[in-house]
Amino acid sequence: MPPAGLELARMNRKKGDKGFESPRPYKLTHQVVCINNINFQRKSVVGFVELTIFPTVANLNRIKLNSKQCRIYRVRVNDLEAAFIYNDPTLEVCHNESKQRNLNYFSNAYAAAVSAVDPDAGNGELCIKVPSELWKHVDELKVLKIHINFSLDQPKGGLHFVVPNVEGSMAERGAHVFSCGYQNSTRFWFPCVDSYSELCTWKLEFTVDAAMVAVSSGDLVETVYTHDMRKKTFHYMLTIPTAASNIAVAMGPFEILVDPYMHEVTHFCLPQLLPLLKHTTSYLHEVFEFYEEILTCRYPYSCFKTVFIDEAYVEVAAYASMSIFSTNLLHSAMIIDETPLTRRCLAQSLAQQFFGCFISRMSWSDEWVLKGISGYIYGLWMKKTFGVNEYRHWIKEELDKIVMYELKTGGVLLHPIFGGGKEKDNPASHLHFSIKHPHTLSWEYYTMFQCKAHLVMRLIENRISMEFMLQVFNKLLSLASTASSQKFQSHMWSQMLVSTSGFLKSISNVSGKDIQPLIKQWVDQSGVVKFYGSFAFNRKRNVLELEIKQDYTSPGTQKYVGPLKVTVQELDGSFNHTLQIEENSLKHDIPCHSKSRRNKKKKIPLMNGEEVDMDLSAMDADSPLLWIRIDPDMSVLRKVEFEQADFMWQYQLRYERDVVAQQESISALEKFPTPASRLALTDILEQEQCFYRVRMSACFCLAKIANSMVSTWTGPPAMKSLFTRMFCCKTCPNIVKTNNFMSFQSYFLQKTMPVAMALLRDVHNLCPKEVLMFILDLIKYNDNRKNKFSDNYYRAEMIDALANSVTPAVSVNNEVRTLDNLNPDVRLILEEITRFLNMEKLLPSYRHTITVSCLRAIRVLQKNGHVPSDPTLFKSYAEYGHFVDIRIAALEAVVDYTKVDRSYEELQWLLNMIQNDPVPYVRHKILNMLTKNPPFTKNMESPLCSEALVDQLWKLMNSGTSHDWRLRCGAVDLYFTLFGLSRPSCLPLPELGLVLNLKEKKAVLNPTIIPEAVAGSQEAASNLGSHTPLVGFPHPFSSSQDEEEIDMDTVHDSQAFISHHLNMLERPSTPGLSKYRPASCRSALIPQHSSGGDGTPTTKPQWSMELTRKGAGKEQPPLEVGVHPAAAALSVFTKETASSRHGDHHHHHHHEHKKKKKKHKHRHKHRHKHDSKDKDKGPFPLASPASGRSVRSPSLSD
Amino acid sequence: MADAAAAAGASGSGTRSGSKQSTNPADNYYLARRRTLQVVVSSLLTEAGFESAEKASVETLTEMLQSYISEIGRSAKSYCEHTARTQPTLSDIVVTLVEMGFNVDTLPAYAKRSQRMVITAPPVTNQPVTPKALTAGQNRPHPPHIPSHFPEFPDPHTYIKTPTYREPVSDYQVLREKAASQRRDVERALTRFMAKTGETQSLFKDDVSTFPLIAARPFTIPYLTALLPSELEMQQMEETDSSEQDEQTDTENLALHISTDDSGAEKENASVLQQNPSLSGSRNGEENIIDNPYLRPVKKPKIRRKK
Repeated sequence: MPPAGLELARMNRKKGDKGFESPRPYKLTHQVVCINNINFQRKSVVGFVELTIFPTVANLNRIKLNSKQCRIYRVRVNDLEAAFIYNDPTLEVCHNESKQRNLNYFSNAYAAAVSAVDPDAGNGELCIKVPSELWKHVDELKVLKIHINFSLDQPKGGLHFVVPNVEGSMAERGAHVFSCGYQNSTRFWFPCVDSYSELCTWKLEFTVDAAMVAVSSGDLVETVYTHDMRKKTFHYMLTIPTAASNIAVAMGPFEILVDPYMHEVTHFCLPQLLPLLKHTTSYLHEVFEFYEEILTCRYPYSCFKTVFIDEAYVEVAAYASMSIFSTNLLHSAMIIDETPLTRRCLAQSLAQQFFGCFISRMSWSDEWVLKGISGYIYGLWMKKTFGVNEYRHWIKEELDKIVMYELKTGGVLLHPIFGGGKEKDNPASHLHFSIKHPHTLSWEYYTMFQCKAHLVMRLIENRISMEFMLQVFNKLLSLASTASSQKFQSHMWSQMLVSTSGFLKSISNVSGKDIQPLIKQWVDQSGVVKFYGSFAFNRKRNVLELEIKQDYTSPGTQKYVGPLKVTVQELDGSFNHTLQIEENSLKHDIPCHSKSRRNKKKKIPLMNGEEVDMDLSAMDADSPLLWIRIDPDMSVLRKVEFEQADFMWQYQLRYERDVVAQQESISALEKFPTPASRLALTDILEQEQCFYRVRMSACFCLAKIANSMVSTWTGPPAMKSLFTRMFCCKTCPNIVKTNNFMSFQSYFLQKTMPVAMALLRDVHNLCPKEVLMFILDLIKYNDNRKNKFSDNYYRAEMIDALANSVTPAVSVNNEVRTLDNLNPDVRLILEEITRFLNMEKLLPSYRHTITVSCLRAIRVLQKNGHVPSDPTLFKSYAEYGHFVDIRIAALEAVVDYTKVDRSYEELQWLLNMIQNDPVPYVRHKILNMLTKNPPFTKNMESPLCSEALVDQLWKLMNSGTSHDWRLRCGAVDLYFTLFGLSRPSCLPLPELGLVLNLKEKKAVLNPTIIPEAVAGSQEAASNLGSHTPLVGFPHPFSSSQDEEEIDMDTVHDSQAFISHHLNMLERPSTPGLSKYRPASCRSALIPQHSSGGDGTPTTKPQWSMELTRKGAGKEQPPLEVGVHPAAAALSVFTKETASSRHGDHHHHHHHEHKKKKKKHKHRHKHRHKHDSKDKDKGPFPLASPASGRSVRSPSLSD
Repeated sequence: MADAAAAAGASGSGTRSGSKQSTNPADNYYLARRRTLQVVVSSLLTEAGFESAEKASVETLTEMLQSYISEIGRSAKSYCEHTARTQPTLSDIVVTLVEMGFNVDTLPAYAKRSQRMVITAPPVTNQPVTPKALTAGQNRPHPPHIPSHFPEFPDPHTYIKTPTYREPVSDYQVLREKAASQRRDVERALTRFMAKTGETQSLFKDDVSTFPLIAARPFTIPYLTALLPSELEMQQMEETDSSEQDEQTDTENLALHISTDDSGAEKENASVLQQNPSLSGSRNGEENIIDNPYLRPVKKPKIRRKK
């Protein structure tokens, strides 16, 4: 393709939202995916894809597709063998940078690497040359069929195999496999255009064992036995144009449940779980009904499937016409706590079916619309299902979360616009990652992004009314469904893509309102608003003088200008005032309606029309104000710090009916430890009508107040008498009633109160004996025999309560913790924990909640010095094979131990697990926990902070995590937390100036200067596997762990990259085949391999074996010259071929690739060229995804 | 049995020597009765003028007499039971004798004959004395509405309730206490046993026995144990299901997760299943054939399908 075409595509992108124009010089209309062999034992998959494309430009001779991990055997275009190149710069982000440990640098390089293969920019890892025979055909813009044979061997991402190690056939063992990943990750399991904006129709075929089921997107057309009758082929058709990223599959011995309410909905679960599945999904039809009703639109697909699988990547993943859930969401009717959570997950996934799967996005910057709408309608479902209180509480929670995150990190930008020329002003310079691509985002940021998106949708709703909002959604959906039925007019399909501007246009068409200011404030700009409010009452003027200040200079904040609602509750009633927040106006005078003299015995009207009696004696006699609320409807994304007197907070807590206001007053009252606050909280606790979550948080507030008032506290410990009254027997107050959890509100309260009570402390800062005995009695007398519900969560919380009661041990002379000097109270606690933990082995509880709590409690005891600190127990529970919740709890304890005891060994153990654990969720979680609770941070002195660790983490994010975007971003987060953005302080000073300066100053970075060969040979000798801290290296090169230089793929920007490939492709494909790499280069490669393993901290012995095999199969490649004059001068061509029998592709490779290296403008890319061999003569060319760094390719390691 | 035992006791002194081979008291009693009958037969024979008799003939006669008396007893019992009594009266005997063809009128005269011999009652016939220890208090007299011929009340101890412990202070409390400590003891014993017999982990390096933790063992399929309710819970659930709690729960359940009513669900069916209106009533009956592609039979391969 001529560069002009690319320019065109870019310009289209810049024009952006005007209408969708594909970045590709062709239009994909149909794709066939056929997976005809799945081997669970070897965890491999063999299949082919066939893409039907229509060229849109005349001289299309190169087709870029996405593919990662897949081993491609053969590509044919219209039945003619085609040459192809495989290049994935994300496999290893930075090369040739022995000393470069700068995170800024990494993030830029990573963003560049992702861009280089970004399908939204028309790029891809796989580049196919259209055979010259077809050029004429292409010029007539006639259809091309691209047929790609591929296989996947032990995929590390994209497809996840779960193969329990028990006796029996794979079906009996419950082995299954499913697709997974973060954002567009379909390229990990089959070659495709992995973009949300390239829609096509699909034909999917999966051949599985006869005892298994393959569930995939679309309609199951038929199931056919293979000839030997031992396997079945499932044929799926998806006639609604769908993006490859929304295609999923799950295969395994699933039990099938047809929804009794909706027969086109089918549920699948793993063997033996059918009763749970029945119960769990029995609710789903109501969610369907709700969405269809509010959207006045039928569910877009003709069928829907839910699959519940083990070792899920995320709890909920929505794909076209199917959703994949974690099997841990299944529950029986006896479980209370999980039920609402699971239903939320079901509702969430269904909302994403409409917005996210059916309606897709034009580009990454439009993602917020989809996440916003699906989150918003999910919120509506929440409101309808769990009630307004729950909904408002949830909104407040989400708002608090996003506010906290933005203030911490400096802002979440919903609609990033990447201006063409202004590359420099990065919209997210405060972040340590690029927000240009979903794949470079920190997971936490992405979660917060979704959170903000739905909150902003809610703000839009506030502005234009819900009715209009739903009309807009309906309009989007009807447009899309009209477009989707246009089977042969693929240009219409772009109607199924949503863009920011399209969405906004829809809003203005439907509502006639201008929401541009709102969008500008919250969508085009990051940051939240921070208000500080205080007031004075002017008696003479009978005016409330309100002062509202803003902090818009701190990171993550922005200035707010516009209306702000303030609600004032006076004696005469509640009044709303809308203030206009302007640049310089801080003070606002609000006239009061009431005279301060209060009428005796008059009821006070509230906002909701209710009139109540209040005891007004606590009030200020001169003021008619009961309480004041700023922005009560949460119509600004803000944090409000408002000052009002304690009695006002107390009135607000008692009488304001809005749960958000109650919640706010509870958190405010923490600062007022007075008997009046105590009374207000106790009253709320007792009030049955009060929202249970408010009552629960009142418990904790009461505990805090009691602790502050400890010297003046009278009566029994806080909440004890209340608990006794509510939950204990009338005749014997020390015995709790037999459990009856019929009333969920009291159930939650009963669970929470002891946990809060255990936080009470006496004057010696110890948990009062009375409270401890009380909790022990609760445990002792717990009797669930008559209960319809399981008490596992209740018992778990009792253990949490025990853990809460633990206070630091009084240690004399740092004595060793032994049984003899064990505190008698702790002995009692330990007794309970031991018994509970042991009973769990015999009678396990649902999701092992009790084990989880016990492990946490043990860690608390260790941390407080009662029990010797020791990670062995946790490490045994963290092993693969335990239930995931247990593992996470145990890992959390190990992470904490690592931090407290600064244990190098444990940190290594954790890092090892991050790379090698079979469960992706656990890997993510460890990184996340390490980031949340880091062993040290960037400004801290720690013995753990060593150069070896820097290198190890650098390698982890640079090349060790290429199979999982999210994992890589998690590693980046950890690196950032530990070392910060710039060069880690523990590294030796850059005395070696030359190299470092080269790297850090872009201007100087000239590839020709870098002595690759020298650096390579020297560094190859250095030992990579060494984990010992390398401090103060005498020689810069020997300390280096990067000897990538040789194998290194090169740096150049996409323009150069493309033009270079064009050059290569323009030439007939066959002659190129005979070009081989010089022997000298190969020999340079070998030492590098053998010292390899820099991708992972633990050296894998298999690699070396692989290497020998590869080495043996290598041919002597002559040098390829003169391809690109500039590039060739510095290039090292590597090409390796491994010859083997065709059928035995598992371990052998037919491939040859060339690596060129080149530097250009401080950007790195790498690229490999795989040319097909002579078809008649030799085996088919095989391009390995790992070609560049084949040694550490996921597909090569056994 | 009591009789037999008493008889054995009474005749114990006499039969002690022979009791070695016939240890059974019932046998003793039988032998004694038999001997009495022999005496009777012998005396009747003497009365009839016989000087002597062969042993065999005496035995035969004894047998006949015994049969006769047994028959009288058996029939008399039948008659008395026929009239819903437990003890035969004179009239029962008379009717029996008449039934057996015996002229009752001759009986008084026969009884008063001059030459009859009187035989001392055999010691075994002594009524066994009920040991005093077993009678607790006085048998209650019949109330006036019960005829006196009815059997007496049994001994008071058989029906009188005697408070054997003091009234509990709080019944419930003790029970709960007991249940709790019992369960705790069982659990502790069980877990300790498991810990003793298997691998353990310990929180203290110096001590492995005070707080033994059963070692964590990975499962091959961890989610099964984590998710499926244990058998105990299942059982419990079934028990509570049958109780009236059931109804309440469902309504309670709905209180938290406000659920649509039936009409809503019906509507759902109508809207979603429009193309298949016959299914709208399917909630009640599964007899409607569900057309779901996953339930369709798997097709046989066609000959040489093109891939």
